[in-house]
Amino acid sequence: MLTEQSAYSNRWRRISPVAKGLFALSGIIAAFAAGSTRTALLIAIVVSAISIFGAGVPLIRYLRVVTPPLLFLLVSTLSLMISIDFGTSASGLSLHLAESDFPRIAQAASRSLACLTALLFLALTTPLSDIISLLRRCKVPETLLDLMTLCYRTLFVLSEAVHDTMTAQSARLGYTTLSISMRSLGGLVSSLIVQVWQRSLALNNAAEARGNDGAFRFLENNYDNTRISISIAIVSGSIIVALAAILT
Amino acid sequence: MHIMEGFLPVSHAIGWSAASAPFVAYGLYTINKRIKEKPEQRMLLGVAAAFTFVLSALKMPSVTGSSSHPTGTALGAILFGPSAMAPIGMVVLLFQALLLAHGGLTTLGANIFSMAIVGPFAAAAIFRLAKAAKLPFGTSIFLAASLADLLTYVTTSAQLAFAFPDPIGGFAASFAKFATLFAITQIPLAISEGLLTVVVMNALARFNAPELQDLNVTTTLEVKA
Repeated sequence: MLTEQSAYSNRWRRISPVAKGLFALSGIIAAFAAGSTRTALLIAIVVSAISIFGAGVPLIRYLRVVTPPLLFLLVSTLSLMISIDFGTSASGLSLHLAESDFPRIAQAASRSLACLTALLFLALTTPLSDIISLLRRCKVPETLLDLMTLCYRTLFVLSEAVHDTMTAQSARLGYTTLSISMRSLGGLVSSLIVQVWQRSLALNNAAEARGNDGAFRFLENNYDNTRISISIAIVSGSIIVALAAILT
Repeated sequence: MHIMEGFLPVSHAIGWSAASAPFVAYGLYTINKRIKEKPEQRMLLGVAAAFTFVLSALKMPSVTGSSSHPTGTALGAILFGPSAMAPIGMVVLLFQALLLAHGGLTTLGANIFSMAIVGPFAAAAIFRLAKAAKLPFGTSIFLAASLADLLTYVTTSAQLAFAFPDPIGGFAASFAKFATLFAITQIPLAISEGLLTVVVMNALARFNAPELQDLNVTTTLEVKA
């Protein structure tokens, strides 16, 4: 996962997740506060520029991460732009462009783009383990945090199992025709379910052997100059929100 | 069907989050109760969340030839119970937003509602109804999985239509538009997912009877020797 690579290797890795979370939040607030399409696009450019030049995410990687959601946004926007007419015209059903709606659609799409850059800022600068500890500070229920921690830990184990199984199946021509690939995929998923069961029992045994009897506990990471970075995040975040509110 | 980050107006984003919150809270309550009764299942649902995440990254052969990915809502609902799927789905959707930039933080509530609440509860209800109607096991699973997928996409269409009503026809016209547009991809996906879920459950029933007994699924299906 490309976002993971950046999250662990970017220039702002050692900056407090609180600061980065606050900045991403203000980016989202600014995107919603933006009065016009132009302002929202400006926010998107500023926030992505901060991710690329500030946090030092390589441009190529940023583009590769942003392309799939951009295509998704394109499809979503196109589906808004088309209006289907049921039965009023002579042919029964007709497609036409919802031109009167274009300003509203442009606003939604640009807002979405600005929000996306803010989300990517957080995703590309902050590893999930930091985000989980940030959520722990926000008093998110322990059960939910444990679910997230376990999910994050096991994710990569299971992806590797999927990769290995698929390689073995493909080597035996398991994905040659539609019906065979359906059967192979079914076998893969069912063996994965068994692994879920067995791995969770093994994890439980391991945890009990170490005397764990409740929620997982983690040491908080120490970050340099937490106060300064949080103040910088608040100031720059407020500037962006203020810009969004003032510009039309 | 994910709704893109920032796509919904702020009132809708907050509204859907508020609508999903009680389900997630209830799900957490049932998970806590379950862990108290069966402490050995403490790690199960976290690993199940990872499983659901990995499942959504798989490419599924589709009947029309286009490839799509399984949602696993029905499978999860049958294996782990529908109420547990709301918190699990929340974690999965959050991870998809943060790791794959798929979906988003502001639309998390709306996406939870369609994919982690409507889907699993519909799947469980349909599965139960089909069983009560004494339909064959495979048919019940197929109906539960494919209809849950269809209901999920209908919910997403309704959410989008609610946020973006047609200037002339209003909500109904807009809903018909989204439902028709998405049907092109979603109906083949629902059929594929239904078939895949049947194949998975059959394989499980044949090869992994003890695991299914521990998951309390065996009461709902006959284990073949």
